[in-house]
Amino acid sequence: MALTTPAAQIGTVVPEQVRRQLTGRRSDTAGRIFQAVLIGAVGASVAVLGVLIYDMVQTGSGTLTDRLGSFLTGNLRSQPGESGILQGLRGTFYIGVFTVVFAFPIGVGAAIYLEEYAAKSRLTRFIDLNIRNLAGVPSVVYGILGLAIFVKALGGLTGPSSQGRSLISAGLTLAVLVLPIVIITSSEALRAVPASLREAGYGVGATRWEVTRDHVLPYAAPGILTGTVLSLARAMGEAAPLILVGAVTGYLSGGTELDPTTLGDRFTAMPIIITTWAGRPGTQWEQVTAAAIVVLLVVVLLANAVAILARNHYEKKRG
Amino acid sequence: MSDPTAPVSYTVEDFRGSRRRMRTEHVVRAVLFMTALVSIVVSVLIVASLVGEAWTFVSQVEAASLWSEGWFPRRGTYDIKTLLTGTAIVTVIAMAVAGPLGLGAAIYLSEYAPRGVRKLLKPVLEILAGIPSVVLGFFALTFLSPVIVQRLSDDATQFNIAAAGIGVGILTIPLVASISEDAMRSVPMALREASYGLGARKITTTVRIVIPAAVSGLVAAFIVAVSRAIGETMVVFIAAGATGGSLFSTDPFKPGQTMTAAIASQAAGTDQVRGAGLTFQSLFFVALLLFVITIVLNVFAGRFVRRVRQAY
Amino acid sequence: MSRTRRRAPAAALLLPVVLLATACVRDTETVVVSGSSTVEPVSIAVAERFADDWDEISISVDGPGTGDGFELFCDGLIDINDASSAIKPEQIEQCEDGGIDFVELRIANDGIAVLTNPDHAAVDCLTLADLYALVGPESQGFTSWSDAQALAAELGSDTPLPDVALDVTGPGEESGTYASFVELVVEEFNEERGQDAETRPDYQASADDNVILQGVGGSATSFGWVGFAFARDADGVKMLEIDGGDGCVAPTDETIGDGSYPISRPLFIYVNVEAAAESPALEAFVDFYLHDAIDSVAAVGYVPLSDEDLAATRERWASRTTGAA
Repeated sequence: MALTTPAAQIGTVVPEQVRRQLTGRRSDTAGRIFQAVLIGAVGASVAVLGVLIYDMVQTGSGTLTDRLGSFLTGNLRSQPGESGILQGLRGTFYIGVFTVVFAFPIGVGAAIYLEEYAAKSRLTRFIDLNIRNLAGVPSVVYGILGLAIFVKALGGLTGPSSQGRSLISAGLTLAVLVLPIVIITSSEALRAVPASLREAGYGVGATRWEVTRDHVLPYAAPGILTGTVLSLARAMGEAAPLILVGAVTGYLSGGTELDPTTLGDRFTAMPIIITTWAGRPGTQWEQVTAAAIVVLLVVVLLANAVAILARNHYEKKRG
Repeated sequence: MSDPTAPVSYTVEDFRGSRRRMRTEHVVRAVLFMTALVSIVVSVLIVASLVGEAWTFVSQVEAASLWSEGWFPRRGTYDIKTLLTGTAIVTVIAMAVAGPLGLGAAIYLSEYAPRGVRKLLKPVLEILAGIPSVVLGFFALTFLSPVIVQRLSDDATQFNIAAAGIGVGILTIPLVASISEDAMRSVPMALREASYGLGARKITTTVRIVIPAAVSGLVAAFIVAVSRAIGETMVVFIAAGATGGSLFSTDPFKPGQTMTAAIASQAAGTDQVRGAGLTFQSLFFVALLLFVITIVLNVFAGRFVRRVRQAY
Repeated sequence: MSRTRRRAPAAALLLPVVLLATACVRDTETVVVSGSSTVEPVSIAVAERFADDWDEISISVDGPGTGDGFELFCDGLIDINDASSAIKPEQIEQCEDGGIDFVELRIANDGIAVLTNPDHAAVDCLTLADLYALVGPESQGFTSWSDAQALAAELGSDTPLPDVALDVTGPGEESGTYASFVELVVEEFNEERGQDAETRPDYQASADDNVILQGVGGSATSFGWVGFAFARDADGVKMLEIDGGDGCVAPTDETIGDGSYPISRPLFIYVNVEAAAESPALEAFVDFYLHDAIDSVAAVGYVPLSDEDLAATRERWASRTTGAA
């Protein structure tokens, strides 16, 4: 089969024409159908997200537009029209604080050790495997860990006035839950640091810690921070461990202050409020649940978006 | 003034470096080692907190109650197959949703999508990944159940396993998509180019060359997604309805119970559950079972991922 | 090389310690209420009003179920147990073992509303025998209403039961509503039939009354039972009339109050005496509950006590009479 394009037209030949001539002018129906199916799959995924967000916003819009202020600053009440999520916001805020304060140093430290210090021994490989397994363990199991250790065993420390069912226990449980994720993402960020950077440091006589602290960590910082923020968003959205640690589901009068000395009292958090309200019948409760979900989504998705944008920005900068 | 050309004698001490810096180095190394050990401590604590009570359950439970008409822990009937079946049905429905959608999205993003579209779609998928499971649970109860499931079957109750399964599937789509896409993108361009060079169409190249080459990664994605679906609690807790006890049932259009939701239901609001003796311990037994299953799946998935990395 | 950068890692590791240290300082005044999900709305209403007046206090209210509540109560973990059925002998023993002295305070009357879907027109009134036949200990495996017809006939009831699917959603064993139902319905028949005092095991059980309402409302020919206050305002369910031998009686405030509705029961709170002695907040809370806030009972939808019964309850609390009545 020879190309039948006249010489004068060669410069203007379109790839499509070439393909058609090469394949004998059969149209690629299977290919087109396949591509359509794929686009359908992508479209469906995006559509699901869209429907979900639209449904939540629409159901919750009444509450959010009519009484946003009192919704954000109100307490749990028996009437949906008076209920607010302040206690949930405070609880979720402190859970975030605990996650960052505990999981970040320990997680990054472990990642530094595994990537920079540890020799590739069996112990290191075992620790690595162990961390990967922990990352896949269901959150309910972490909840049981929190119940057994932080609530029951350490109850006197974590919440003398609440038999251990306090924000401290919850925060620690969730910090343990996201720890493997922080370690894994930090390890990947550290691995991406070019060896030449380290070697340059060693070459001028710096100790391993000096090289890590002054050269490796700053280079890997964006990746590490992205991973931490993603873990933070994950911790703020988890409900199952909170159920097991004893978050209040009915009514709570306190739990609105930011004062850290109140961390030992009974508490509640956004995901628990949503779970409890989701079970209450009637359109009014549906509306406030949707409103609470919108608030939680804003917080979580904002955190995710910031992390992803930051990562993309730094990836582009690095080239 | 000393003669610069005279020979200077050095001892080993001169090369050891500042004592202070070396001390810092050793302290830092020890501290970092301990942080790495925390992960081992966590694993040990998980196993320790589960095994004690789980052993009490296993040693004291009547074998007959493990194969009865349903999971009613407060009455002393601990029919494990109810929970396993519930988990299996949810997982199957979830994979039926997440598999095609996630894989399709991954193939599109990896092979077909133009640069700009890809830049737009990847963040969308990552946003989907960030949605908390309680949100999906509420969505499953208030939208998926009435709008989709109850239209499919006339005697579907409002709480049903199918809605929960679809919700879990939606949650898992981003996971399947991202791992599959990584697997396919790590297939070298050279393979594709060789295929095109032989005159293959795009669909042929994708289906006959890229996907088989990436199959280890795809299997890994599948296994990780299954593990995630098995471990998902809140969607089932909110949308599948069987919070107290559940009959053995294979009907996806009726309420049901999974292992994870059973644990959460028992402990909701109290850590002392009233019941026929071993109610509290049954919680730990189920958790241990869950822990073992997810570990096994993750080890399996890890093997496949490593095979992908090694191949190229 | 900046000093802050050198010190940052040390700070990162010290921050957790500082956080824990500041957090473990205060020991707040707390009142912990748990127990029945039926009584929970009353306790929540009272707690709301109380917290509006008292500042530095942390009141928490949960509703895992009367039975679970007694487990916590008899271990000294909660101050007040809401109960929709009176304390049982084995629970009294448990409290004795735990060294807990309690005051039993009756605070309201309630009826058990038997529910079905509003579209289920074939059934309007059931006898106690019908109820036993549908969900009693001998009913395991009945999947349609008509399956219970034979058993109901044996017990002397002739209500026609339709041949439609019987989807049962009801409280589980942890619930006082379950215990009251067993006491008022099952125990009418179980001894002469040689059965245990329990319901059939094969139904969707939940401690959460709202889940039961949603379950009943979501199925066309459902059957369920909850406390009257939950059902009276709920759309999506229909309350059935109950015939206790004197004709069909619908559950209303009057019929529950005067006892003509056959399945009514009192609601209680059980207070830990020692905790009340040690905590002025708890004492004030119970005082508030029984005096200023007792109208919450009606506000929530339950049937208030008669004047004599209320006076008796107040006297019991004032004199701290311990033990079950």
